[in-house]
Amino acid sequence: MKDFKVLEIKTSVFADNNLQAGKLREELKEKKVFLLNLMSSPGAGKTTTLVRTINGLKDDLKIGVMEADIDSDVDARTISQTGAKAIQLHTGGMCHLDAQMTRQGLEGLDPDGLDLVILENVGNLVCPAEFDTGAVKNAMILSVPEGDDKPLKYPLMFSICDVVLINKMDVLPYFNFDLEKCKENIRLRNPNAIIIPISALKKEGIKEWTDWLHNAVKSWCE
Amino acid sequence: MHELGVLNSMVHTIERIVKEQNVTEVSKLVIEVGELSGIVPRYLEQSWPAASYKTFMEKTELELIVIPGIVKCKGCGRVFNAVYSDLSCPDCGSSDMEILEGDDMIIKEILCC
Repeated sequence: MKDFKVLEIKTSVFADNNLQAGKLREELKEKKVFLLNLMSSPGAGKTTTLVRTINGLKDDLKIGVMEADIDSDVDARTISQTGAKAIQLHTGGMCHLDAQMTRQGLEGLDPDGLDLVILENVGNLVCPAEFDTGAVKNAMILSVPEGDDKPLKYPLMFSICDVVLINKMDVLPYFNFDLEKCKENIRLRNPNAIIIPISALKKEGIKEWTDWLHNAVKSWCE
Repeated sequence: MHELGVLNSMVHTIERIVKEQNVTEVSKLVIEVGELSGIVPRYLEQSWPAASYKTFMEKTELELIVIPGIVKCKGCGRVFNAVYSDLSCPDCGSSDMEILEGDDMIIKEILCC
């Protein structure tokens, strides 16, 4: 008869990932590289917003982008046209990136000499919120057609984000979307979130967002 | 369907723990799943054979304990189960609440030798 024992653990299933993410952040701090984790549902305008962001910051910062998708490389090709260093990561069916996958992506991108690396996470409002990638800050895009009640339906995503960009403001007149109600719903989940309405297509609100990002990068790299 | 990714992460966490404890075989895991964790117990059970495949826990039994999603209303202070109240306070209707229990997934016990 084998001698069995019970280990009382009481630790989160995400403990190992959180440990890896913390290590990655420390290494990025030493290298003076700022990693932004950008999340949204599919079709919220991540790639267009990213193109505007790069164009707004590329004179001041050296930028790299990791495009995470389940398959294809259309996003990485679009981004590389901006002149930013871009690589495509395939998650092999997984709906999110964890700290280990982010580390592998960074090794592929080679962030030495870059100031800002943006991770475009897989389009999804559930799983990416659960896995700390090792990013310095988390941002998400909510687009007007998705509805102002999304912060109530996906509370975790909104609670972990430092910035929420409300995109597609140009189509606001055509949707039953109450901007003030949406802001209120976001603040219920996260009173500290910075909320910036934008239209990536019409290039509106982008300056406020890039100013915030620029300042965050500067204070991290000091 | 993110349960497979959650389980993969858990396997890595347990791998580290058992290495520290000098354990060679894990016969059973007792896991607490919160009702507000966004993780579905039924999908965890279905994904476990795939997540443990070709790992040291291929034969390990998975026992799940569901933890109720208990919250406290920030408006009136009422404590209630958020899932059965459709995420709003049954007394004052507020949806501004503090989670007291049930928003995590915890490795409670590892039975091993």
